[in-house]
Formats: sequence, C-alpha cells, structure tokens
Amino acid sequence: MRAYVEIAVKKFQDKMAYRLDFFMGIVNTAITIVVYLCIYRALYGNSVEVDGITYQMVATNFVITLGLSNAFGYNEMFLQDKVRDGSITNELLKPVSFIFRLLAENVGEGAFKLIFHFLPALLFTMVHTRLCPPQSALHLLIMFGSVVLGYLILWLLSFIIQTWSFWLFSVWGIITIKNVLVNILAGTLLPLWFMPAALRRLISYTPFEAIYFTPVRIYLGELSGAQLLLGVAVQVIWIAVLGVTANVFWKKGVKKLVVQGG
Amino acid sequence: METIIAVEGIRKYYKVAKRDRGMRAAIGQLFNRKYEVKKAVDDISFMIGRGEIVGFIGPNGAGKSTTIKMLSGILYPDAGSVEIDGFVPYKQRKQYVKNIGVVFGQKSQLNWDLPLIESFELMKFIYKIPQEQYEENLKLFSELLDMEPFLRQPVRQLSLGQRMRGDIVAALLHSPELVFLDEPTIGLDVVAKEKIREFIRYMNKTRKTTIIFTTHDMQDIEKVCDRLIIIDKGKKIYDGSIDEIKNKYTNFKTIEILLENGGKETETFDIRVTPMNSVLQKLFAEKHIKDISICEPEIDGIIRDIYEGRLLLDSPAMEGTGV
Amino acid sequence: MGELRIAAQSLKMSVRSRMQYRVDALVATIAVFVRESANIIVIYLALLKFDVINGWNVNELLFLFSILFLTYAIVVSLFADLRDFSRMIREGRFDRLLVRPRGLLFQLILNNADVIASLGHGLLGILLFVLSAGRVGIQWNLVTILYYTGAIIGGVLIQGGIFIFFSALSFYFVETGSIRSIFYWNMRKFAGYPISIYNRLIQTILIYVVPFAFVNYFPAQYLLRKPDMANYNEAYIYIAPFVGVGVYLAAYLFWRVSVRRYYSTGN
Repeated sequence: MRAYVEIAVKKFQDKMAYRLDFFMGIVNTAITIVVYLCIYRALYGNSVEVDGITYQMVATNFVITLGLSNAFGYNEMFLQDKVRDGSITNELLKPVSFIFRLLAENVGEGAFKLIFHFLPALLFTMVHTRLCPPQSALHLLIMFGSVVLGYLILWLLSFIIQTWSFWLFSVWGIITIKNVLVNILAGTLLPLWFMPAALRRLISYTPFEAIYFTPVRIYLGELSGAQLLLGVAVQVIWIAVLGVTANVFWKKGVKKLVVQGG
Repeated sequence: METIIAVEGIRKYYKVAKRDRGMRAAIGQLFNRKYEVKKAVDDISFMIGRGEIVGFIGPNGAGKSTTIKMLSGILYPDAGSVEIDGFVPYKQRKQYVKNIGVVFGQKSQLNWDLPLIESFELMKFIYKIPQEQYEENLKLFSELLDMEPFLRQPVRQLSLGQRMRGDIVAALLHSPELVFLDEPTIGLDVVAKEKIREFIRYMNKTRKTTIIFTTHDMQDIEKVCDRLIIIDKGKKIYDGSIDEIKNKYTNFKTIEILLENGGKETETFDIRVTPMNSVLQKLFAEKHIKDISICEPEIDGIIRDIYEGRLLLDSPAMEGTGV
Repeated sequence: MGELRIAAQSLKMSVRSRMQYRVDALVATIAVFVRESANIIVIYLALLKFDVINGWNVNELLFLFSILFLTYAIVVSLFADLRDFSRMIREGRFDRLLVRPRGLLFQLILNNADVIASLGHGLLGILLFVLSAGRVGIQWNLVTILYYTGAIIGGVLIQGGIFIFFSALSFYFVETGSIRSIFYWNMRKFAGYPISIYNRLIQTILIYVVPFAFVNYFPAQYLLRKPDMANYNEAYIYIAPFVGVGVYLAAYLFWRVSVRRYYSTGN
C-alpha cells in the first residue's frame, strides 16, 4: 500500500514541475465554468425553472461534474504506448501490481488537478454565482464517498478499453468514442434531467448514470433514504462488474503477451 | 590545405532548472525557481581543412552534440566565432545549409511508414537536386551501401542498420561538400558499421567531401579518421592524429599474469616511472606466475583511461616526450 | 515552383502514410467525426427542451458550427505541424528543419497534413452545412457566395495565425499545452454558440484576443441578421474576411522575433 501512495505522491509532485501549466490550469477551469454557466443562463432565458429544475441546480450539477471529470483527465494511451514499445514487459517484472500502480499514478494526477485547478476555480465561481447548498452535512459526506465510486467506474471503463491494446493496432479511436459517450450519456454537458425520457431510461441501465449523476443527486438531496442506498449499491455493483471484466481482459492480454512475446 | 572550418573560442552555457526532492521543494519552485549553469561547451577552438575526416569523441554530455549543432547552424555560440566556407552558419542559414549534409543518428528524418525512395524524392525537391545528379547519386549510393533490396520497403520494416544507411543517403543526395554525422553507427551491428565506414571513406576519397563525425566507437575512429578531437566536460582535451595519441602512450604497458592457482591479474604502468625491470622483479618475487604477457595498450583502453581520469594528457609522466 | 513540388510530395506522403493502416485510419476518422458531433448532439438535445438560445434556433446554431468545422478541416491539412509544434521541439525534430535550405514556416506549413482530422471535421462541416444552409433563410447569390468564401479563407488564416503564435510561444516555455487548450481548443468550442450569450470577459477574448468571433459569428450574422447583432459594431461584419490577414501577419512577425531564441537556447 505504501508503495502505491508513494507512486501517487510522486506523480502529484511531477505535475508541479510545469509552472505555466499549473497556473493556466486554474484559469482554464475557471473559464470553462464561467462559459457553461453563461450557456445555461442563456438557455433558461427568463424562465425560473424547467421541469422543476432550477438554473441553480443545473449550475451545481455542472460544477460537481466538472470537478470529477477534471480529476479524471490523464493520458489514456499509456498502456498502448507501453505495449507498442515493448516496455510493458519491464513493468510486469516490477514487484508492484501494474493495475494498482497505474491507478495510483492516475489518482495522484487527479488529486493534483482537484486541489490546484478545481478548488481555486470553485472558490472563484462561488464569488459570483450562488450554488445550491448540500441537502445536509451527511448528504455531503456520502457524496464524497459516491464521487470516489464514480471515479472508479470511469477509471475501470477506461482501463478495460486500454487493455484492448494487446489485440488492436490502436485503441485511440475507441477511447475517443467512449469519451463521447461519457460526455453525452453521463450528463457532463447537458444534465440528465433534460434528456428525452426514452434516452433517460436507457441510460439508467448503463454505468454512465452512476458516474456523475448519482453523486450530484445525493448532494442535492434528490436521493434520500432507501433511494440513496440503492444509488450507491448500483455504483458498487457496476464497480464489481467492471472490475471483474477488467481483470479478465488484463489477464488474457498479459497471457497473450507472454505466449507470443508481444 | 585550404581551411574550411575555423572555430575560435566558442562557448555555450545552459541554464538548467534545479529540482529538489520533497513536497515543500515542489511547492517552492512554483514561485521561485533556482537555476544552475551547465557549461556544455567551454572555449573550444580548432581548424579543419577541406577534405579532412575528423572524429569527435567524448563521454556522454561532453559537448559533442552541442558543438555539432553550433557548426551546423542550429545554435549560435554565446561567445567565440564559427566560420565555415565563408559563411557564419547561424547568420546565413539558408545559404549555408545548401552545402552541408547532417545525419542525426538518433533522430531519423525518414518517413516511418513509407519506402525510403519517397523520402529521397522529397529531398530532391527540397535541395533542388537536378534529376540527373539525383539519379546518379542514388544509384551509386545504393550500390555502395547495398540498399537495392530494401529501397521499396516501408522504413518501419527495416533494421536499424538499414535505416541508418537510408538516413545517410538522404543527407548526402545533394552532394554536400561538408557532412556532419552525429553518431551514425550507434547501436549498429559490426557488418552495418563496416558498410558505413567504407562509405564514409569512399565519399572522402573520391569526392573530397569534408566529414566530421561523432562516435563512441573507437573502431570508427581508427578505421576512418585521419584526425581525432577529444572533448570532455566542454573542453577540447586532445586534437591530433590517432598515431600520435598511440605513440604518446607507448610508454604505457599492460602486464597480464596467470597465477599458479588459476587467478588472473592485470596491471598498467608507465615505464619511465617504473622501469620494466623493477616491475617484473617485484612480480616474480611476490607471486607464483604460470604465464605472463606484456601488451601495448589498445586505443580503446587509452581513451577510457583519459575519460576516467586515470591518464592525464598533460601528466608529469609525459614530460620529455615532446608532446 | 519548387515550393509547389515540395508541397505536392509532402501531401502525397501524408496521405499515403496514413493509408498504410486502412482499418485504423477508418476507425480514427469515424472517431474524430463522432467526437466532434458530441457538441452538436448535446445542442440538439438541449434545444429539444429549450427551443432557442438567445434567439437562435437549432438550424442557425448548426450553421454557426458548420463554419468552425469547415475552416478547421482546411487548417489541419495545412498547419498540422504547427498545431503539434511543442512536441516537435521537445523531440528535437525542429533541428532537422534548420539544416534544410528552406524557410522554416514554409517547411512547417507544408510538411505534414493531418488527413484524418481533416476528413473527420470536413465531413461533419459539410453535413451540417447541407442540413442547415437551406433552412436558415439565406439568399444564396453571387454576393453572399463571395462573402462566404472570403469568410472561410479569413477563418483559416485566423486559426493558422493562432497556431503560428502558439508555436512561437514554445520558444519561451517548455509546456504550452495549457495555454493552447484555453485559448485555442476551449475558445473554439465556445465559439460554437452565439457569443452574445457570454459575459463581457469571454466576449472580449473572442473578439479581440483570439478572434474566433470573426471566424464564424460575424460572418454568420452577415447572412442571418439575428437581433443580437445590435450589441456590436456593424462594421465587424464587413471586416471579418480581412481580419485573418491581419492576424496572420501579426503572428508571422511574432514568430520571426521568437525563433531567434531557439538559436540561443536549443531545446
């Protein structure tokens, strides 16, 4: 465990070496929030609420979603690059689990972005826009847990596709398409409240709803009591399903590598 | 001999950001960054005549590549001057580079996915090579370097040696008078190295092409060069012929002994400080020797000893040798 | 003449090297197309619920977007190496251009065409244009067609100029990825919406700093005449096709000054 914490901390520090990127990252996040709030404002026009959803709720949804998707941004071509140049074999010889090592690195990078890009941008946003307060302190606390689960779902989806680089020439296209699906179906740009009913129902059967939307609804108090437990349970189930899938692909991929020598 | 390259007291210093370990240092350097000055090239001068082949050697980070970059017009020196064939390379870039060819052994300029011939065609247009000259050179070079079998294969399928030959041809198609080869034999097998050496010698002999190249391989130097320049820590520490450096070290001998108990020992010493007589007497008195051989040091060993500081070019032992 | 032949050979090589991996090229083109469609799909879904955004309906928005895609398709077929310039510097590949007897920008502009991105963006741009151009009430006649062509060329020059400007920044900073992601990629995304919806700061950036407003918003206003044009000087509409020339020249001068730094520091 200590080794993985070290890996995460190392990555965190590496990110700080690029000074310009550091400060620009804050500006970028702040501008993105401002722009999307402008877009939502313009969509709302003079209406106070649409389908019972207020502008404030939409803004809150966007800010939480952005924080999490920000933390998730890392190089998803990492495994493919390692497989292509053959350095994956060196990785497998190291005494740490590759999967957890990769997770630790990505978490380190994500923590960096959350603390140094997202938090300042969030404070800046709160100066000029009133966001919804959390339903209760308990809801806030459970939301943090749910955000971690959401991150894991995203990470596993990405990792599963990354493992396909053992078989495919390039996974770039598939990763890109996956990210499009996440952007649309997980409600990164347009909150799921406003999706057409049929599409909304379809999404509820996929892991996408459990990524950002479950934590947001917990925060806002849309999920409480039994519904809240169900929401979190669905997240856990998706993690289990995706985790097992990821493991199967990873094992098969490594086996193929060992048998055929890349 | 007409001078083609005149380098006078060139310097190149870099500022390198210092990175300390630890979280506090990481936060600190966001706001206040510390720099160190690295003297990549520190006051180097030399002249090279038209038609010479000169080898540059030195350990990694000695300043060879930086020197080549200053000669080829990619960098300008912080101090000192470079004049090549009447040009100041970094000031008259476009004019100057028409007459030079550059191979960066570690950075191919060939298109990875296409046959060599496509990259060569591009060179033809870039250097405005007349069709006749292009065809003639291509034919000659591919014969000399045995390239016909793989001219039409995608570069990614070629071996490193084949690719390097392609890179050398691409840099020479426009018949430059001066050629810089930065580590053209790095990572190659013996056969490929030999091909490239022969080719370099041929170009020098038949076309009087001036050739400057850097390498880590002493064989390259011994087989190809007339002249050797050794650079270490940004300074020129040797400039002369290979024979000269060998002669300098003829006073050094290496003794290899095989002991009765099967052990092996070697010892290098300077016969002007400790004459052979006393060394042998000491050895015979102290050890049970089964076999003994006395050898001249190899050029490889000499250079290694220079880098590692075990031999100093201006050491007291050298006094009186007239060097 | 020589320049044209280099350009032709380079283009031929770009296309042929991408076509070496046919399946991958196809998947990648589709991926670019789908990725870029994401914003369009989101707008479509949003306007199913909200009908208009600041007076612009879905077809008008698609028309606004189509200009961005069409210009970008041309930009990446010319300026791909400048888009990826900081990587070129980092990997030391820029040195190669310095030892060739040709202008540096000339080599960068013609060296490499991103065929995949060009196809992906181009197809989407054409599709959006076809879907929207006939439904937004534009009178297509000689004048409007001329204006539209001029605006597209101007839009290419603006974006090419921005790429040149950011490439020149690579001579001062090791990592320029974040600057580019704010001032190019994000601004380009924002320019898909009518800029009148934004606050003063973002509008100022889009008009005066990274002038994407002259790539699509003002040209579209010439053809659509939406009421929010009242917020801006009418003259902006008419200078739009020429702004590109100014931006490109300014970027070129900045490049000339900055490239000298490379000679003294290397990479």
